[in-house]
Amino acid sequence: MARGWATAGGIAAVVCLGAAGCSSGSAPRAGHGVQVVRVPQDATSIQAAVDHVAAGGLVLVGPGTYHESVVVSTADVTVRGTDRNRTVIDGAGVRPYGVVSIADGTRVQNLTVRDHTFYGVLVTGVHDKHGPRANNADDYDEFEPDEFPPVQRFAVDHVTAYDNGLYGIYAFDAQHGVIADSYASGSADSGIYVGQCHSCDVLVQDNVAERNAVGFENANASGPLLITGNRFTDNRVGLTLLSNYQEAFRPQRANQVIGNLVGESGSNDSPAQADGGFGTGVGIAGGVDNEVTRNRIAGNPRAGVLITNTEDLPATGNTLTENAYAANGIDVANISAARAPATGNCVTGRATTLPPDLATARPCGAAARRQPAVAPTTVARLAKAPPGLSFLDVAPPRAQPGLTDVDTPPERLPASVTMPDTAAIDVPPGSLLAELSGTR
Amino acid sequence: MSLDRRQVLTSAAVLAAGAVGVSAIARGADRDGSPPRALGDTPAHGAHQAGIDRPVDPQTFALVSVVDVATQTRAELGDMLAALGRTIAAHTADGSGDLTATVAVGPRLVRAAGDGLPGSDPLPLFAGDDRIPASRTGGDLLLALHGSDAGVLERAREAMVWTMRARVRWAQHGFRASAGEGRARNLLGFLDGVVVPRTEFQLQDDVWIPDGPAANGTICVVRRLRLDVDGFRSLPVRRQERIIGRRLSDGAPLSGGAPLDQVDLGAKTPAGEYVVPAHAHARAAHPSFTGSHLMLRRSYSYANPGSERGLVFISFQRDLDTFVRTQRRLDETDALMHFATATASASFLVLPGFDDARALGATLFR
Repeated sequence: MARGWATAGGIAAVVCLGAAGCSSGSAPRAGHGVQVVRVPQDATSIQAAVDHVAAGGLVLVGPGTYHESVVVSTADVTVRGTDRNRTVIDGAGVRPYGVVSIADGTRVQNLTVRDHTFYGVLVTGVHDKHGPRANNADDYDEFEPDEFPPVQRFAVDHVTAYDNGLYGIYAFDAQHGVIADSYASGSADSGIYVGQCHSCDVLVQDNVAERNAVGFENANASGPLLITGNRFTDNRVGLTLLSNYQEAFRPQRANQVIGNLVGESGSNDSPAQADGGFGTGVGIAGGVDNEVTRNRIAGNPRAGVLITNTEDLPATGNTLTENAYAANGIDVANISAARAPATGNCVTGRATTLPPDLATARPCGAAARRQPAVAPTTVARLAKAPPGLSFLDVAPPRAQPGLTDVDTPPERLPASVTMPDTAAIDVPPGSLLAELSGTR
Repeated sequence: MSLDRRQVLTSAAVLAAGAVGVSAIARGADRDGSPPRALGDTPAHGAHQAGIDRPVDPQTFALVSVVDVATQTRAELGDMLAALGRTIAAHTADGSGDLTATVAVGPRLVRAAGDGLPGSDPLPLFAGDDRIPASRTGGDLLLALHGSDAGVLERAREAMVWTMRARVRWAQHGFRASAGEGRARNLLGFLDGVVVPRTEFQLQDDVWIPDGPAANGTICVVRRLRLDVDGFRSLPVRRQERIIGRRLSDGAPLSGGAPLDQVDLGAKTPAGEYVVPAHAHARAAHPSFTGSHLMLRRSYSYANPGSERGLVFISFQRDLDTFVRTQRRLDETDALMHFATATASASFLVLPGFDDARALGATLFR
């Protein structure tokens, strides 16, 4: 895949800033130690800049449309656009990704990634020296987590990712990170995705995901993992918490989903969800001990919350408390198969359920017992999924607010994420982040 | 809701132009450095019984019999199986062509051999199995005879049944024409047995029980599936292919590539739909969804008097769970299941191989 590698000759007058100077001893490449590299002033491509910045340095990307796929392999590097809406990495419907980070401590900030066949931004420990590993050979081999230790410390913020074929913003095999103040639409899989980590220590906060097959997706990613203050509306499925056998660290467990707006999941202006998912706010498949509380879950034509199994992995111990439900086909439905019945999932507050006796008057934390379920078709027939729209044809978002200070080099990312006080988080209004929602 | 490592690790890409161009590399024979396998050899003696990995391409005809025996004690069963092994050796000696006889014992006999052995649990009921008569489920012993000469199968079985003083519970003749690489076209017209373990290393990983008294044996599942051949073939070929997930002509995945290539589970159309449809058989049966090993499938078609015809599904795997988890998933998601009705079903422990010095069943019943 062409990545637009620039030669060393492409590096022009290089600007050196910061206390570490131009010859940082921690830089991985001999001869490079540049703390700030500007594109296009100092380098002809983002990749050339990334290759020449020192560990801990800043790549500042000016306005323009960049036709390249960038791999960040130097620790603690920040790739930052100077204008979120006008610094654009464009996959043109043929390149696989915008920015992939495979190093610890990286940030991607204040830019737009669009029209990639795979993902806009990816942070992952699964890679070889060429970037994310493309292994065509044998889908039948188990993934080996020991071979690919999770990348540590990351931040993706003020990123706009739209019309990407799989995911907009994607953290896979990565720990201790934040995805915040970002926007994702037009993803044929999910707008924002956190996958395969245990003890993830990930915060997903104040993002908007709309017109995706799935707004936010989690597969085999376990707490501490807090999803809060997000607007996941106008997707086919708002938010999912999934276990699967195709990745390590099953079952998925112990996420906190607090204070989000999840709704209007009857989108017909998005790509289809390939497995037929539609009209669902929160989907939990084989998830364990997740806390879904004080969210506004509204306008989902099938189900506000849908609980099911993944193969023989049951959904157990999930608590749905103090959520504000409105205008859902059904507020909470359990469609678990008999071979892996749901147990110990509790629902408090006013909620309609399928079957009606799903949420009997028992406190959360009571002894787990097998819960009644309905056939999947009972819920699916509440709303028919319309045909999908090509991800390349999904309407682009409106302009999004960028970073106010783009010149100051960032601090090194901390070893762990500082999580907000969840006790202080209330049910959000339906207008949460509405000013960022919609199309141009 | 799909996600995945495969979309990180594989070529699974959304196909922007709608064209299908993704090709995976087949899990081809000997790519993994395994020693080469002799294609046509069928000696009865060996570390493993014949009729599982040898011959590499299953013979044209089969006579699958499930029998019951009156024998009760472990010692008597040991004597009976040793005698059966001698009968098999005599009937498959030089001059018998490629006749093979594969012996597997049902849960009752496994439990007589000892506690906690693989194969001691019966095959559970799957969707629709409650309509199978009791006489067509379970059974003490599987005698699977295969050969290029259909005429010798019954005579050999009679000798073996007589050796054991057994009663035939049910039996089914079957046929298949090799399409190479262990594949055959079933009566639906599609190639069967495309993705199976082929190399020695793959067989070690996926098929042979690694240790214990049953080491070098395997678990065999036999299910006779009546197929709605007319109903299936009345569909447009395009519909048929979307039910299978592979092309009718050569078996290549709908996601592109060569006939032996794997389906690309992650490949999607720009509008978000799977290129290999969500309910296609090749997707439903993919072991990655259940975290299972691959099955070695060596199925045979059958056509009985009247209009009943279908497939004698025969699979070998190192644990029963591989089949159980897969079939449960098929029951829930596989569009092909609408055209199949099980009329017989059982699982067995295939005994380890034997020779003159090591009697059939010796590691379990002696």
